[in-house]
Amino acid sequence: MDRSDVGALVRSAVDGDAAAWKALVEGLSPLVWSVVRAHRLSDADGHEVYQTVWFRFAQNLGRIREPHKAGSWLASTTRHESLKVIRSSQRLMPTDDPQLLDRVSEDRTPEQSVLDSEEAAAESERIRRVWQEFEELGERCRQLLRVLMAAQPPSYQEVSAALGIAVGSIGPLRQRCLRRLRARLDARGAL
Amino acid sequence: MGDMNGLNGLYGHDFDEDGFDDGVSDEEPEDGAADGFDDGPDCDLLEEELRRAAAVLDPVPTELYRIAMEAFSLRDLDARIAELTFDSLTDAIPVRGVLDPPRMLTFSAEGLSVDVEVTSEGLMGQVLPPQTARIEVLSGPRTAAPLTADDLGRFTCDAPPAGPFALRLRTGAEVVVTEWLRA
Repeated sequence: MDRSDVGALVRSAVDGDAAAWKALVEGLSPLVWSVVRAHRLSDADGHEVYQTVWFRFAQNLGRIREPHKAGSWLASTTRHESLKVIRSSQRLMPTDDPQLLDRVSEDRTPEQSVLDSEEAAAESERIRRVWQEFEELGERCRQLLRVLMAAQPPSYQEVSAALGIAVGSIGPLRQRCLRRLRARLDARGAL
Repeated sequence: MGDMNGLNGLYGHDFDEDGFDDGVSDEEPEDGAADGFDDGPDCDLLEEELRRAAAVLDPVPTELYRIAMEAFSLRDLDARIAELTFDSLTDAIPVRGVLDPPRMLTFSAEGLSVDVEVTSEGLMGQVLPPQTARIEVLSGPRTAAPLTADDLGRFTCDAPPAGPFALRLRTGAEVVVTEWLRA
């Protein structure tokens, strides 16, 4: 899905076009999920936030004032709901550390197993190293890169809505964070 | 979503400070040209690498795609939406020592509001101004539990919502749906 199609897809979906809705879900789900993960929500909380966001999007479909900015609408709603989750868990368990649930697990998912085929072993290893170094970046970089790496790259407007930072600061911050990640990888001789 | 700004403070400090607590020295040369990494293309390649890693290691769970597809049926083009105007989670002052306070919610549409209290026991509420109504507790695209509000507008549901929920109210004159919310 091209980002320039979003407005037309929203308008078609309002008119009842299920294929347009499907294209929106496929095109923008990675953004919603990335924003959830950027906020370090657990699986259970993340699933509920994701669903709340899409239910609300469906409910408001005909009322969204700027259909071409639906991605920003989704990103901002996801951020808002994620912060609510963080706030409620802080209220209930003020001493708990933020859960670190998006660590690479030792259990292999089917996708990972595919990667473990012999030809793909090197690629798999590189991906794990990149991910591991990414996870150990400072919080601000980890958050920004987690949103930027969504499948179907998000626009800076969407990143801004997802993280509450100014559009103009995203480019410089992105470059700085990627440079830091590169430095970490170089230091480990990973790439 | 009127309280969105109120939440900025949560993360505000992260973005005010350096935040690069990642063990890489800040003395690192800023003119990355020296190490051959100042370049857009190199940044783009690394970002692509991250994108591939995310697709393998932290993809959108498949069942969530399915649920979002089905959510298309939640378009309620004829209903009016009652927006969340009060949420004790964000709008009330926390009470010290109360570990699991009830969640108090108010949804408002023009001329009608719904107060809802969610506890571990279930859900209680009142339609205002008081009036009878048929109420469905929606918990996703396919499920709904029907309730009736008495002539004072009061209703109860014995099970707390599991996950996101919304209320669909049919009064004599119209259909009103509350904004979806995570309980």
